[in-house]
Amino acid sequence: MKADETTLARLMTLSQQGDREAYAALLEACQRWLRGYYTRRIAPSHLDDLVQETLIALHTKRASWDAARPFLPWLAAIARYRWVDHLRRLYRADEHELHEELIGADDEPAVAARISLDRLLGFLPPAQERAIALVKIEGLSIAEASAATGQSESLVKVNIHRGLKKLAAIIEKE
Amino acid sequence: MTMQRTSDALIAELVGELRPVRPLRLAEGIALALAAAAVSAAAVIGLFGMRADWLAGRVDPMGLVATGMFLGLALAGIVTVVIMSRPQVGSDHGGWRWAAGMAGLLPVAGALVALIRGRDAFSAEAMEHGIECLAVGSAASLLVFAMLVMWLRRGAPTSPERAGLVAGMAAGASGIFAFSLHCPIDDIIHIGLSHSAVVAAMALAGRVLVPRLVRW
Repeated sequence: MKADETTLARLMTLSQQGDREAYAALLEACQRWLRGYYTRRIAPSHLDDLVQETLIALHTKRASWDAARPFLPWLAAIARYRWVDHLRRLYRADEHELHEELIGADDEPAVAARISLDRLLGFLPPAQERAIALVKIEGLSIAEASAATGQSESLVKVNIHRGLKKLAAIIEKE
Repeated sequence: MTMQRTSDALIAELVGELRPVRPLRLAEGIALALAAAAVSAAAVIGLFGMRADWLAGRVDPMGLVATGMFLGLALAGIVTVVIMSRPQVGSDHGGWRWAAGMAGLLPVAGALVALIRGRDAFSAEAMEHGIECLAVGSAASLLVFAMLVMWLRRGAPTSPERAGLVAGMAAGASGIFAFSLHCPIDDIIHIGLSHSAVVAAMALAGRVLVPRLVRW
């Protein structure tokens, strides 16, 4: 099923009324949409966990969507909240992920750009964005990130801390 | 494949748990909070009585303006909290800052006048009145506070810290608005310091206590 705004909003309206068939279709479509949304913004080994956490959040908070409002910006706000929370909880990933997977071509539709994670990261100063991308998303150690950026190790830590704090405060910013 | 199976199992489980829900409506949230504010104001008037000078038609502009500013701040905060309970990328909920900035003139003016007047501004009697307003105003804000926290728990605020701060501020402003209907003191030092202190204290309480209650 195509995850377009109109279809998702219709399925969500039915889901709020208790229609299980519509809900199964909605969750399936949202799962696919979320995979695309998070790809390259989380280490591949964490993608499934994060998608599932977000589906659970969608489920528990489904009353917070109102049929009078668009669906995808609502889902994106929930996805961003879970993503920032995930990054904050995440300590250095033990495994080193394949960077090529993270740096692949961007196939995100242009219409979704305003609600994307890139957009949110773009509000950070470049040094904070880089520190978060290297350590929290690509899984480098603090020392490796320090060598890659030329920032001292303590500055990398400060930039991650400040950057995540700022991201948490601007989840709904467009 | 394993992950796909896990996701499929999760989706099946969530579908199995599905029950109909009533969507959070903006108007309903605002109406509930306003009803709580009205009940609080009625309770204050019932317990302490309405200002005698206002009942007699004598209205001092200072008291009237300050009471109106607290009401405006309460309304701005309540609407903001209800908006915050429904997440949406692109949603703007910063309007309360303007109302808070305007109401912030009251403590600034109160502090300035107190500095000019010096020690006379802080008689024992004035301090006693001040503490009474702080205590009763805070108590009168609790119902609105509880209502807003309940609404935030039903919703999905993406900034629990800010939501807590604004919920406390809105509750404090509605509480001191309620007590302003009784408090007969129109002095800017009393209003600016004691009445504003209710808003500040409740905002602080909201910022500290609410995030852990509404985080999801």
